[in-house]
Amino acid sequence: MRRRAAAAAGGAIALVAALGACSENTGEGTTVDTDRKQTGVIATDPKDSQGPAAEVAGAQKGGTFTIIRETPISHLDPQRTYSFAGLMASPLFARYLTTWKDDGKGGLVLVGDLAETPGTNVNNDCKVWEFKVKDGVKFEDGTPITSKEIAYGIARSFDPDLTGGPTYVQEWLADTAQYDTRWDFKANKTSLPPGLSTPDPKTLRFEFAKPRCDLPFAVSLPTTAPLKPEQDTGVNLDARPFSSGPYKVAKNQVGVQLTLDRNPHWDPKTDPVRHQYPDQFVWTFGPTADAAVNRVIADNGADQSAISFNFVPASLVARVAQDAALKQRTILSPTPSANQLVINTQRVKDLKVRQALNYAIDRDGLIKALGGQTVAQPLTTLMPPATIGYKAYDAYPAGANGNVDKAKELLGGQTPELVLGVADNTTEQQMATQLKGNLERAGFKITVRNIPDDAKLDEIKKKDNPWDLYIGNWAADWPSGASILPVLYDGRSIKAEGNSNQSYFNDAAINAEMDRILALPPAQQGPEWGKLDERIMKEHAPVVPLFVDVAYAAHGSKAGGVFISSVFGYPSFVNAHVKP
Amino acid sequence: MVRFLVKRLFSATLTLFAVSVLTFLMFFALPRDPVSGMCPKNCNPERLERVRQELGLRDPLITQYAGYMKGIVTGRDLGSAQGGRCDAPCLGWSYVSNEAVFDTIARVLPVTLSIVIPAAVLWLLLGVGLGMVSALRRGTWLDRVAIGFSLTGASLQLYFVGAVLLLVFVYSLRLLPVPSYTPLLDDPVRWASGLVLAWVALAFLFSAIYARLSRAQMLETLSEDFVRTARAKGLAKPRVYGRHALRAAITPVVTVAGLDVGAALGGTVITETTFGLNGMGRTAVDAVRAGDLPTIMATVLIAAVFVVLANVLVDLLYAAIDPRVRLR
Repeated sequence: MRRRAAAAAGGAIALVAALGACSENTGEGTTVDTDRKQTGVIATDPKDSQGPAAEVAGAQKGGTFTIIRETPISHLDPQRTYSFAGLMASPLFARYLTTWKDDGKGGLVLVGDLAETPGTNVNNDCKVWEFKVKDGVKFEDGTPITSKEIAYGIARSFDPDLTGGPTYVQEWLADTAQYDTRWDFKANKTSLPPGLSTPDPKTLRFEFAKPRCDLPFAVSLPTTAPLKPEQDTGVNLDARPFSSGPYKVAKNQVGVQLTLDRNPHWDPKTDPVRHQYPDQFVWTFGPTADAAVNRVIADNGADQSAISFNFVPASLVARVAQDAALKQRTILSPTPSANQLVINTQRVKDLKVRQALNYAIDRDGLIKALGGQTVAQPLTTLMPPATIGYKAYDAYPAGANGNVDKAKELLGGQTPELVLGVADNTTEQQMATQLKGNLERAGFKITVRNIPDDAKLDEIKKKDNPWDLYIGNWAADWPSGASILPVLYDGRSIKAEGNSNQSYFNDAAINAEMDRILALPPAQQGPEWGKLDERIMKEHAPVVPLFVDVAYAAHGSKAGGVFISSVFGYPSFVNAHVKP
Repeated sequence: MVRFLVKRLFSATLTLFAVSVLTFLMFFALPRDPVSGMCPKNCNPERLERVRQELGLRDPLITQYAGYMKGIVTGRDLGSAQGGRCDAPCLGWSYVSNEAVFDTIARVLPVTLSIVIPAAVLWLLLGVGLGMVSALRRGTWLDRVAIGFSLTGASLQLYFVGAVLLLVFVYSLRLLPVPSYTPLLDDPVRWASGLVLAWVALAFLFSAIYARLSRAQMLETLSEDFVRTARAKGLAKPRVYGRHALRAAITPVVTVAGLDVGAALGGTVITETTFGLNGMGRTAVDAVRAGDLPTIMATVLIAAVFVVLANVLVDLLYAAIDPRVRLR
């Protein structure tokens, strides 16, 4: 799970994440599709997990597809990959147990990637899961991938040297957050972590102490990429990962350029989502977002088949949005990255005050201040619209600009004095100005306190932090309510520091309801999370939902097939091709 | 001369020692925890504490400093989490870029050198040339043009000049490729064409200062007695100006150039950012933003080395240029 400050270079919200409606460039102009909803499901038909992936209309083989990004990818080692750039680059050279089939139109199906299906819930209690490995899946050297290599990949993720990657599977297997103290990878390289076994080369078996119904989702992250033990170079695998996907690393000039060539041993018949259209993918690092977008707009030479991984910065939004010729070369899509005004419920205990905060906010004004529809889209729920089981509602209907009268009525003549803690970055400063104005016109007295940008997240994660309100952002790792509501609103998880539950909300009835839903079969959980979402807001209002981030990307005239990932909110390259 | 060099190198070493101690102490004065940057996600307090222990951050400061300096001289073992053995000169391991800091520096330093050295040659030639011409043709249209040019250069900002150059030569006329760095030995033409705009932008801005400085110095020198004597003795103007006046006028220019080039080699962050080049400057700024302390330490030290060396070089050049200066 990743919570991030809603901030980005140049004032544009570039850090978007997780779930969300996705869109392919239709050339219809800069209008965000606000109606698309997640239709995500887990595939039940094994045929869904078989390859080859459906051909992309108009796509041809050949050419070099370039991706320009300001900063390098933090990790290429799949077991350490968790950044958005890493998560979008990794599918080109790594395969996982499961993956998302994303149609670019809001439809999302979890399918088997290396596995034949998205997993078998052996006893229907979510405690024992089995995955059968497909025939014909191979590494870049042509050797077959079996359950042993997948298990080895998971085992090495226990190595404390290999920090940075997701830790769901490790923590669930070890049944503790201190998983690396429960099983020592370095001392047991020839064995496997507790609960993980390979009864035969085709079978991978997980046995957990507690029900883990989200396992099929969790194994869609790069933690489950396979690796042969003899290819494990420890921390140096970052420089040269060993491929199981359609491309392999040809050359990696760390921090400058990453070149991927076709992997001849990848078999499209085994892969339900990836293609191998371009001869080469080149990631180029260095240019700022302004420079990168200017390059793809200029559309010269190799940049014709390039995309700027950094979204269109605020300084160029007007120019890009108003140029009709560029509409064909931009992608505008809401993402699953949700932003809230988080209420510290330990300090703001009066429900009426929290409800008044919800009525007072002018979402429309806030979004306009941030840059308009190319930056943000309003949100009134805890879960973003793309979540499986999402239920649209507005617990405190106040219109686009807020309802000051209703807020004042709830306050009953009081003037609550609240402290708003904000990071000292441009985006949060802009938001603070708007929020303070909104709340003070409704009768609140707001004191804004700046927090150093790089320290803010750590500070608000401390239980005894001194602020009443702060701006929060949450991007889940898969579109399931289980990856949002229990993480953010289960009060039993509150500790002295390092809290994801930053509203410090704790209600026994809500906690019990979460337990009940988590015990349900995964397919039945979706609508229940939607109902719980509404109940938490109506009964407790621990936050004011504000908006979801919007992705706005630009590419060259020959770059085709790119869409914004429904899962991570960044450009996906599985369908990318170079137009003739 | 040898005595002078030994003395200067000794004082340079002392300066660098002081910088290294201050930079190291800065690690602990900063409000952030170096480990939190190394383990940004899913790191609970217990895990962070284990990482701190593994990295030796619980050792006394003197032990940590001694280990760092020993690494620079003899190399050291950083442990498997930091790539194992780190050969000398070991500048530590960056958890942000996930590589030895020396490797980062080895990658970005040539970029900065490739920007700064040709640009410095250009700005010195242009600046000193304009200053001289302006002084020798004082009051003429040439002087006014040169002064106007230098005033314009001195008033503009690099990010503006750079953006205009990019817009005109790269995005509109398409005469030049998008700025990038290619190693000189790999392809000299691509090296030059990828960096020429950065050279021009830097040279335009810096030459302005040098033009004004060298003009003022030259005018002052031309009014000195030794110039009048040389002319009275019948020496030709070019000889008087070129061999006598120029040498005397240029010493302050050399001083300023030494400081400018030394500082620029430590990083030209605005130039690098404007042209999308990853040199020392951007690396240093990125390291500060990311709290990448080993990289901050290395970039500060290397920048200090350049400034100190540039000053030693300036002192040596003084003696070569001005016969009145003797090194002791």
